[in-house]
Amino acid sequence: MDPDAVAKAFVEHYYTTFDTNRAGLANLYQDTSMLSFEGQKFQGTQSITGKLTSLPFQQCQHGITTVDCQPSGPAGGMLVFVSGNLQLAGEQHALKFSQMFHLMPTPQGSFYVLNDIFRLNYA
Amino acid sequence: MDPDAVAKAFVEHYYSTFDANRAGLANLYQEGSMLTFEGQKIMGSQNIVAKLTSLPFQQCQHAITTVDCQPSGPAGGMLVFVSGNLQLAGEQHALKFSQMFHLMPTPQGSFYVLNDIFRLNYA
Repeated sequence: MDPDAVAKAFVEHYYTTFDTNRAGLANLYQDTSMLSFEGQKFQGTQSITGKLTSLPFQQCQHGITTVDCQPSGPAGGMLVFVSGNLQLAGEQHALKFSQMFHLMPTPQGSFYVLNDIFRLNYA
Repeated sequence: MDPDAVAKAFVEHYYSTFDANRAGLANLYQEGSMLTFEGQKIMGSQNIVAKLTSLPFQQCQHAITTVDCQPSGPAGGMLVFVSGNLQLAGEQHALKFSQMFHLMPTPQGSFYVLNDIFRLNYA
């Protein structure tokens, strides 16, 4: 399958799930997954989902500006580098963010997130 | 060696070299290396260095704001996610950028850049 298409499909799925059902992100991580969120480090699905579902806002909407992807090596992984806007309900201005994912293939032919790094881009 | 220390040392070396001797970056890439620069895809040390040395400015200075790193899997690789400012000589305002590197170990105990993705962060 075309890597760019896979990356695009993943990004759409990830942010749609984030914006409508944050707890549903649990399916995308495994025990070995790592998240760095604004410098704070988390490991494992439970810990990661715990962080994401406890972020201090109820509603949000991600708007994606750029998606870049590259194969990450012989294990069949894929690196996905995203930039975009994050609009929080009730806030006048959207936040800008960059995020990178390292996706690894699952035996079922899907992908899970092994590495996830998120940073806000301050003006 | 402490991964955070490795990442920090790499970042300092990479941007010092970029700012002082861009052609010297050739040592950090190999034939299988990939660069995506503002959406443009380039492969292999020679092509990557040609792209970087032909960027339309003589002098620049990178200032790093954040560095995040995570191990990328069993092959001993490391993901490094950087954000910072890029000041071009003669320009009044610095550009903001985000960049991710996937470093892989060399037999000599060093690292090379397998994956490199660079994006400017527009206001």
